[in-house]
Amino acid sequence: MKSKATKIWLFQRVMHRRAKTTEKYLFAIVVAYAVVVAFMNPRFLRLETLFDMIAGGSGTMLLALGLSVVLISGGIDVSFTAVAIVSAYISVLTMDSLGIDNVAFAMLMSTSIGLCLGFVNAVLIQFLRLPALIVTLGTASVFHGAMAVLLGTTDFTKSEMPQSLVTFGSASLITFTTENGRYGLTMALPFVIGALILTWLILHHTMLGRSIYAIGSSEESASRLGIGILRTKLFVYGYMGALAGVMGILYFSELKYVNPTSLVGTELIILAAVVIGGAKLTGGEGTLLGTLLGVSLFALFQTTLVFLGLDSSWRNFFFGGVLLLSLGVMYARQRVADRKNLVFEAN
Amino acid sequence: MNRIQRLVARDPNVVILAVLTLSVGITLIAFLGDRFFSSLNLQSMATQVAEFGLLALAMGLSMLLSGIDLSIVSAAVLSAIVGGLFLAGEIIPITPGNESTVMWIGVAAVLVTGLLCGALNGLLIAKLSVPPILATLGTFIFFAGVGMAITGGSSVPVTIPGFSEFATATVVSIPLIFLVMCAVYGVAAFVLTRTRLGRKVYLFGENSVASRFAGVRNERTIIFTYLAIGLTVGMAGLIMLSRVNSARVGFGDSYLLQAILVVVLAGFNPFGGRGKILSLFLGLVLLQSLQSAFTIMRFDPFMRSFIWGASLLFVVGVNRLFHLRANRRRILTNLAPAVVNPIDGSPHPTESPPGEIPSTGTTETTK
Repeated sequence: MKSKATKIWLFQRVMHRRAKTTEKYLFAIVVAYAVVVAFMNPRFLRLETLFDMIAGGSGTMLLALGLSVVLISGGIDVSFTAVAIVSAYISVLTMDSLGIDNVAFAMLMSTSIGLCLGFVNAVLIQFLRLPALIVTLGTASVFHGAMAVLLGTTDFTKSEMPQSLVTFGSASLITFTTENGRYGLTMALPFVIGALILTWLILHHTMLGRSIYAIGSSEESASRLGIGILRTKLFVYGYMGALAGVMGILYFSELKYVNPTSLVGTELIILAAVVIGGAKLTGGEGTLLGTLLGVSLFALFQTTLVFLGLDSSWRNFFFGGVLLLSLGVMYARQRVADRKNLVFEAN
Repeated sequence: MNRIQRLVARDPNVVILAVLTLSVGITLIAFLGDRFFSSLNLQSMATQVAEFGLLALAMGLSMLLSGIDLSIVSAAVLSAIVGGLFLAGEIIPITPGNESTVMWIGVAAVLVTGLLCGALNGLLIAKLSVPPILATLGTFIFFAGVGMAITGGSSVPVTIPGFSEFATATVVSIPLIFLVMCAVYGVAAFVLTRTRLGRKVYLFGENSVASRFAGVRNERTIIFTYLAIGLTVGMAGLIMLSRVNSARVGFGDSYLLQAILVVVLAGFNPFGGRGKILSLFLGLVLLQSLQSAFTIMRFDPFMRSFIWGASLLFVVGVNRLFHLRANRRRILTNLAPAVVNPIDGSPHPTESPPGEIPSTGTTETTK
């Protein structure tokens, strides 16, 4: 552990900005929780816990990255779990029927399907001009329902599914052996890191990223500046869909079981993970660091409550509690500031 | 003819919905005959619709305040669980002597839990200015978490005999719970159209800043409405508990999408301030008739979810078209360039083809 001053200095050197308040709070909560758990149960401090968390959280992180971009653009998407399952399941079916057994093919196909479904979302949201929540709630059931009706919902067990996915899911970057067995670092990690860097580059080093922040802050002003709203939205939702496609394949390989009815229904909790990181639904705000912290907290609660002697059914209780607390603090501060500046938009 | 036209002009949504409901009803009767239009099926429809109807009403109320309540289902389930604990005799042991007392305590516990859930939402939204969608997202997870923490994921069975009679009782062969739902709808319609609180709710939904400067205590309106939502949700939980005779986290998850669907179908504006209880009731009848037809035709849940999602998008799309047409007509008749179309920088096939007056609505700034 480095000292606080070094940390702040490091933060500003790396990120070229000050830490946001939500990020500080969230970081404090994550650290405090980790300390408490480590104190209660020293087994927490093992490397395998970290590897477990990374394996469990990497899929969520991919979705959360895409979702942060969507939230920054002022939109919302709750169809991404359906998109992930639909694109990955179609890819697996195609591989099965064509006899192609290749991870790269699965990734490529799943990503493209996800991209197309994302475009569908973007076009509908742009032309119906309704809350994106309602539109994507609709498309989520349409995508998943259409898949289930047209293609069925047969699941593939480990021996039935394409073997390349099984090998991919079992492979690991680093392995080490302890007295309890072998532990490996999931292959999903490079994808997550890649997506993180790509998202960061897009958001902060391209014109496109500027446009995303701009339409999130004010769509009206952005369009008067000559920013293509439809184009930007196509990118935003397409990117979300593509990441969901990647995540679907990672998810199936990680579980080594292809179940087309899983995952759908968890979208709101992933949305919560992003929201807890400080992304505002009104758009134009949100940082990738916040998202990372939010997902870490989520993964912590998911994998480490056992160390406290609580079973995982307490997860939502803690996560929901922290979410309500952080929302309360965040918006109460905003409210005070708004009152001071005589802004009365939010009641 | 003139009268009909005037009626349509005054309230196009209700009329369209009524025509739609009638025609769907007639079609179903024509195609499914006795299997649909039998007293047995109608009775089971009325039983099934009760809890969903109350949840839809709660969602509708939240949309009148230009919000959305994602926590309705998990709040209903949580109140059913808390009540279930009482009715299972886990808190006060049930003896033959105190059965009816425990039952009433259980019923009160369900309603109070619902109210508390609503109060939490209301306080977060009114006093801390958390946007409704986020506040209820948080409480959605939190309520589900509390329910899980209490039960550990298993279901709470009701052991008091006689409690399930509430769901099966009938008055002149109409299910009692359906009558309860109708009564709640009646009260809601009365409050919304005939009282000051109702006016304030619509005004807040239409323009919260104007309402604030008109001297309305917005925070109070929000809290009252969310308390009402909480009570409605508590009643839904009560009916759920009595109908299934047990409570479990994860029950009725599909209600959320359907509640949003029926509210939007009924012409409630998600941006607030528009929506009538009567049309909500009609939408409910429509949805339940279709639901029952799907059951008769043995559609699997995926097919249903596909149809619900597709109809949500369809309804939203049609509303959008109507809105566009109405705007265009208004602008053309007034010949006033009311609001300049934000230049999209992209081809925009549904709106303002070249040479026509821009026609972007006034209220949709997408925020």
